[in-house]
Amino acid sequence: MTGRSETAAQRELAKVADVRTDPIHQFGIHKIVDIQVGGVDVSFTNASLFMVVVAALVVLLLLWGSSRKAVVPGRPQALAEAAYEFTANMLRTSAGEAGMRFMPLVFSLFMFILIANLLGMVPYFFTVTAQIIVTAALALLVISVVTVYGFYHNGTHFLNLFVPKGVPALIVPLLTLIEIVSYLSRPLSLAVRLFANMLAGHITLKVFAGFVVSLTGLGVFGSLGAVLPFIMVVALTALEVLVAALQAYVFAILTCMYLNDALHPGH
Amino acid sequence: MAGINLMLRMGSEFIGGVVVGFVIGYTIDRLFGTTPWGMVAFLLIGTAAGTLNVMRAAGVVPERFPVEPTADDRKRSGEDDEES
Repeated sequence: MTGRSETAAQRELAKVADVRTDPIHQFGIHKIVDIQVGGVDVSFTNASLFMVVVAALVVLLLLWGSSRKAVVPGRPQALAEAAYEFTANMLRTSAGEAGMRFMPLVFSLFMFILIANLLGMVPYFFTVTAQIIVTAALALLVISVVTVYGFYHNGTHFLNLFVPKGVPALIVPLLTLIEIVSYLSRPLSLAVRLFANMLAGHITLKVFAGFVVSLTGLGVFGSLGAVLPFIMVVALTALEVLVAALQAYVFAILTCMYLNDALHPGH
Repeated sequence: MAGINLMLRMGSEFIGGVVVGFVIGYTIDRLFGTTPWGMVAFLLIGTAAGTLNVMRAAGVVPERFPVEPTADDRKRSGEDDEES
């Protein structure tokens, strides 16, 4: 009997504490506009909203940056130019000059992920890149482009990518099989890396922030103790901004490296 | 911080190989009714692929194709240098 009343009390407590301390709550998807097309749910959700916001921000930022076209760039123009130069150099050094034809793809991916990650750092905002379906879609796009272009550009010569050189003929089939599985695992690791970084970062942040809330509820001593997790939250926020930029860079540079495979399969 | 990043990188590389191996093996088993041999074989191959991924990421094994600028690239970058 007491067990039941305790769970009821706990449930009541959990309901109060839920939104403020639940680290998973922030990843919830809510429908904003309910849309059904032929029984398929294509509702406009908060995730869709933030993807639209991210895309619009990227476009606006670059339009703003390129509106003046001054010889001595102003602040927005310097920002846009820096972003372009950075991506162009990254692509040129890892995929060669021939890789520059993929500049629109790599630049779009880099800017989308960067802005999505940074936007996720704003309190109460939704982190699009902490949804595995979003990162998986991006990774599948990259690997499809690499595979399709690899076959289009090199024909069957592209398959040389999977045949290691300088090994005894007897183990070549086995190694080829391993290389194929390794190739197929690329989109998975690409998607999981970005997703896991953003998810882990935001959960850690929320857990420490939750400590502050819970400790402050314990009175004066609790409030004093809450200073420690609060310092941690401040430090973690700085760290997460760094991770947000770093992961966008990692995703883009790996895209460049995979494109290099499609452009130069085994010289 | 660098540690966490490295952990997630290596972890995703390794798990990627194993999971893809499992999925391929499981699909083969479902298609041809060879349970559990396809899964066993491809899990082993997937683990090897995951290890290969990790070793490539760690730089122990060289990348498949390090970027060697072609004659065309070199010419163009040379032009770039002259311009700037």
